[in-house]
Amino acid sequence: MSGKYPRTRLYLVFSLGFCWLVASVLLSHAAMAGPNGVRVGAAAPKFKATDSQGKSESLDQYRGKFVVLEWHNQGCPYTKKHYDSGNMQALQKEWTAKGVVWLTVISSAPGEQGYVTASQENEYLRKMKAAPTAVLLDPEGIVGRLYSAKTTPQMVVIDRTGKVIYDGAIDDKPTPDPEDVKGAKNYVSDALTAAMAGKPVATPYTRPYGCSVKYGE
Amino acid sequence: MRIFRAVTVFLAALASGVAAIAVGPSADVAHLHVQLVMPNPTLVGGSPANVGIYFKLEPGWHIYWKNAGDSGEPPRVRWTLPEGITASDFQFPAPKRLPLGPLMDFGYEDEVLFPLTISVSPKVKTGPVSLHAKVDWLVCREQCIPGKAELDTTATVVDHLLKDAPGAGAGAEIYKRLLGRLPEPLPSGDRVVFQSYAGGFRLALATGQRETTAEFFPSEQNILNNPAPQTVTPTATGLILELAKDPNLAANPAQLAGVLELSGGRNYDIAALPGTVAAPKPPTTALDVLRATGLAFLGGIILNLMPCVFPVLFIKGLSLVQSSGAERHKQRSHGLVYTLGIVFSFWVLVGALLGLRAAGLTLGWGFQFQSPVFLGLMASLLFFLGLSLAGQFEIGLTLTSAGGSLAQKQGYAGSFFTGVLAVVVATPCTAPFMGAAVGFALSQSAFVTFAIFTALALGLALPYLLLTLQPAWTRLLPRPGAWMEVLKQATAVPIFGTVIWLVWVLAQTRGAEAVAALLAAFLLLAVAGWIMGRWPAKRVPNLAAGLVIVGAIAVCVYGVTALAAPVASAAETGAPGASKWEPWSQAAVDKYRAAGRPVFVDFTASWCLSCQVNERVALRTPQVETAFKSANVALLKADWTNRDDAIANALTTLGRSGVPAYALYAPGSDAPTLLPEALTPGIVTDALSKLPAATNASNR
Repeated sequence: MSGKYPRTRLYLVFSLGFCWLVASVLLSHAAMAGPNGVRVGAAAPKFKATDSQGKSESLDQYRGKFVVLEWHNQGCPYTKKHYDSGNMQALQKEWTAKGVVWLTVISSAPGEQGYVTASQENEYLRKMKAAPTAVLLDPEGIVGRLYSAKTTPQMVVIDRTGKVIYDGAIDDKPTPDPEDVKGAKNYVSDALTAAMAGKPVATPYTRPYGCSVKYGE
Repeated sequence: MRIFRAVTVFLAALASGVAAIAVGPSADVAHLHVQLVMPNPTLVGGSPANVGIYFKLEPGWHIYWKNAGDSGEPPRVRWTLPEGITASDFQFPAPKRLPLGPLMDFGYEDEVLFPLTISVSPKVKTGPVSLHAKVDWLVCREQCIPGKAELDTTATVVDHLLKDAPGAGAGAEIYKRLLGRLPEPLPSGDRVVFQSYAGGFRLALATGQRETTAEFFPSEQNILNNPAPQTVTPTATGLILELAKDPNLAANPAQLAGVLELSGGRNYDIAALPGTVAAPKPPTTALDVLRATGLAFLGGIILNLMPCVFPVLFIKGLSLVQSSGAERHKQRSHGLVYTLGIVFSFWVLVGALLGLRAAGLTLGWGFQFQSPVFLGLMASLLFFLGLSLAGQFEIGLTLTSAGGSLAQKQGYAGSFFTGVLAVVVATPCTAPFMGAAVGFALSQSAFVTFAIFTALALGLALPYLLLTLQPAWTRLLPRPGAWMEVLKQATAVPIFGTVIWLVWVLAQTRGAEAVAALLAAFLLLAVAGWIMGRWPAKRVPNLAAGLVIVGAIAVCVYGVTALAAPVASAAETGAPGASKWEPWSQAAVDKYRAAGRPVFVDFTASWCLSCQVNERVALRTPQVETAFKSANVALLKADWTNRDDAIANALTTLGRSGVPAYALYAPGSDAPTLLPEALTPGIVTDALSKLPAATNASNR
């Protein structure tokens, strides 16, 4: 009954079967890919970008410090609300004085509202008396998409260990009216104050309000 | 006309004593036209009048729904009204999805009407009144421009409604044309529920007919991942819609409210409550089936190492040795018949399971062990078999008679029967890899189900089959001799062990009376065996033995059914001082998760030997109990020893169809982690150590 090469054939069948099994197990694990985007409580995605001074900026270089990311579009009425009222500049000064790294991020694509060259941005900073640590130019929207930034202004606070502790709106008054700055509950200040005191952040996630980030296609 | 209106507005302002900045009923501002619409400008005390704010937008520009999505803000209106007159909130028509690069907004293009009602108290004097609205909005294309306008119109308060009200027609056409875009309440009889799962929600809608398209707009912000595609799976009576969660969603909403748009412009306001929504059958790719088949095959091979199957392997090993003499060429046939027996019995089991399910029963894998009659007969059969192996008598249909002096036919029947036996005893042991494969198989079409179970069967049969197919390997086995008799008798030991386990399972659920009856059945079987051993191959004694066996079966069946007494559930029989395990219920899971505690659910059954082993070697060890305690884990035990539809449904939700299954819910995430079917203390403590948020929650 047994053929001339039963053993060879058997080994072949065996190895094929083994490969199949290994592949099955690997595939079943590959199917478990996690969701992307920022999760409050998880490690902040690492990025590298060039700032308006032409310097390279990365999240890693600020490990050990609190980092605030502020999505910015100087043409957006909601951004204007916080710059024309001086609110954003005051926050930048207050928190950078306490050792916080404040990175303004511009993710507008060329040709879209809010897109600026380095010199235009530096001019704007001078004129507005803005005081971020640096302004990241992100015309390809790489940092923006990494953090799923939706609006300007959208604020992200990262703690000393590189963990996201706040993501969302700047405050609880989602209007473009500068009058609403007064009396608003500022989520960024609340998060930084709590975290610096070693307390949990009371409101770690809100819906950001403002204009959509003007990504390129 | 315009002069007339200005005059009436002026008069109205005077009459009501309100200093209104009259700018007219409409305004043309950047990129849009906004208008206060009142189809019938008469107000009657006690009956609300219809009003609307109408926007006509330039091409490409949009304004927003009440939940604007990822960016944007809905329009708002603030009224200045004479005393006694009040305005309701805006009603929002069904929106559109407005994709914007990687973002998704919800809003309106072209034109939209926001209807509302104005109510008049009967005390308001008749005559003209001014209705004044401050409207503000955000209008966007690539850029966003906030806008505002002050609109007003005049209405006349009258005693009773006139059929042909004066001034009817100003905006009446707009109102009539666009009012239909408001979502309607869900027709009575239609049902909608949702279930949360890892990363998303499943929304099930039953309208009574197959639905093919749907879009869901959530009323609340930060519930869904807005740009994620919404997957529609039509069902016979409606559809299942899969929605991706906002990755930062901390706790599941108590209800999923919003607008559901169906084909043909049907828009419904829905508020889905939590319920059970089985995962829609995914469009099964050949790869999925291949993968599940592979897992099932692997699981089948591993099943050979499980304690349940050990006794059967003993028997098979014995038969192999016995026949290692002259009749090697027949071994191959016996291996194939054994395989056939395994495949056949898997098919019968699956066929029965699918049939019972089709009949409306909620059953899962291992369902036969939920039947006490099955357990009793199974225990009796194994006991009788054990007696034979121990040497009390020779069964005509010797299970180990592959070859030898017995008729060929009987030998094959024996091989086939051991295959059946292997499957029957194997079922309570879910081997690693098997759980996922079986869960997948039972959610697929019958053809795929059978294919996967066939792979499982072949995996189970493989080790023995290979030995018989490759005579060279059997040559390694020792020559037959007197030692075989010793081995055969030794095989009775694990068989009796299995009997003890089955009796214990019955004792758990049926009580002492039933166990006593079962033991009486065993005694009768022992008598039958004694007769068969004392007077072998004689007609009258064999007939007598047969009668005694029938009597034993009768006693066994009567005992486990009629004498059964309700027994406290196994959940309460934990050792004193052990961790407190509470009985499982979905409500208990929800309660502890709402309290921010991690929850561990042990899906178990007395008849599931793997479960008992896991509980003893892992879950009940001091190491694991300490870890549970320090992580403040709520411990729930879902005991599936008897049929329980709620547990069966919960297992289905987890993608499983049988026990054991271990689910660990981390606080804040509703994706339970499923632990493997074979636990070690390390696996459990590792899983617990990955709960950083858990410790925070408990310390708070």
